Amino acid sequence: MTTHGGSEPVFCTVVPPHVLDRLARNDDPALSGPARRTLLRDSELRARRRVTTEFRLAAAPAAKAPSDQPLRTIYDCAHGTDLPGAKVRSEGQDPGRDATVNRAYSGLGATFDLYLKAYQRHSIDGDGLPLDASVHYDEGYNNAFWNGEQMVFGDGDGEIFVDFTNSVDVIGHELTHGVTQYTANLTYYGQPGALNESMSDVFGSLIKQYSLGQTAAEADWLIGAGLLAPGVTGAALRSMKAPGTAYDDDVLGKDPQPSTMDDYVRTGRDNGGVHINSGIPNHAFYLFATALGGHAWEKAGQIWYDVLTGGELQEKAFFTDFAGLTVKAARERFGDGGDESQAVKKAWEQVGVRIL
Amino acid sequence: MRIQVRRTGGFAGIERRAEVDTAGRPDADEWHALAERAVAGGRGARPSGVPDGFSYEITVDGERVYAADPRLTAEQRTLISRVLKEGA
Ligand SMILES: [Zn+2]
Repeated sequence: MTTHGGSEPVFCTVVPPHVLDRLARNDDPALSGPARRTLLRDSELRARRRVTTEFRLAAAPAAKAPSDQPLRTIYDCAHGTDLPGAKVRSEGQDPGRDATVNRAYSGLGATFDLYLKAYQRHSIDGDGLPLDASVHYDEGYNNAFWNGEQMVFGDGDGEIFVDFTNSVDVIGHELTHGVTQYTANLTYYGQPGALNESMSDVFGSLIKQYSLGQTAAEADWLIGAGLLAPGVTGAALRSMKAPGTAYDDDVLGKDPQPSTMDDYVRTGRDNGGVHINSGIPNHAFYLFATALGGHAWEKAGQIWYDVLTGGELQEKAFFTDFAGLTVKAARERFGDGGDESQAVKKAWEQVGVRIL
Repeated sequence: MRIQVRRTGGFAGIERRAEVDTAGRPDADEWHALAERAVAGGRGARPSGVPDGFSYEITVDGERVYAADPRLTAEQRTLISRVLKEGA
């Protein structure tokens, strides 16, 4: 085990419900407002998940079937931080002059496509949720995130990072945080947080592979290729094929991702290392998909999707819980004793995750 | 006054930290006012962030507060970007 910042206290970033309750009653609207919105959103999501998992078979037919077309809107923050910003492109409108807006729009389309065509999922909530993204967030902002409702992309500072819409897998990664939120809702801390991150990397990479028509052998298995500014020594931000090798740079440092449990990093930072230890389940997926060969979204991706959305994956799941469910899903979908269930078991074994 | 900022998380998961010591700086008063307001708007524990959002620790003369994107106050945002840009 590697320890980063061992002397640091480890805090959980997830505000416990009783604290939220207290904040929601605070006289200061700056405190009570966000807490109330969080509570409201959490209870809506919980109810929705319960309905979709428990009543999946018994659900009444929807009043109106969700469309097979996405409903995209791109907003421009014009380097400010107010969200969502000014509406600059709506669904069906022709491309404009801003390449960032056009990339965001087509990246949302590519993501919608994979989920619909490979997994028959209508948008991130499975019910045609409109897809909103804001670009040009803040000045020289070196990040992209999912705020619970929409995607937000920075332009990068031009020295370390360039425009975060450059990589379609980054767009797919952010949207997949939405899918996870509406399904397993993996807690964004520690091992469940690293699984949450890994889901976003796996489907982000599959979106890129699907849009390029690549097989597992042809894919680069990189996350964020095209995000590093010229002069930075590195290929991308993460490598699912070889975690820990994506970059090694004077300014950025070295890619800290482990590929097996032997090198699991214990830290309180980065929500308990969610972007670090995701290397382990990422690598397991890569090993599984390349062992099967062909298009990774068809079998390997299907099994991961089955587990993410199947209702059995707990919010606080550990790697071993997830691994066990993938073996079960492989058996259910492709038969016991088949290549798929053997290959997925072997992949977890190779990264040192025990299946109980 | 020693003002330290540590940023963790983010899509890349790459940590950045920087520090400004205002002693002897001609703009020290401006820094002090900004730092005090940024700390006043901070939290005593790490707030729950959003996926891939940056989280921040702001430490002013040993007093540490926490904040996370996208819910920063204007003063926190300004202080963080100035320290990360101008600090060592
Ligand atoms: Zn993420």
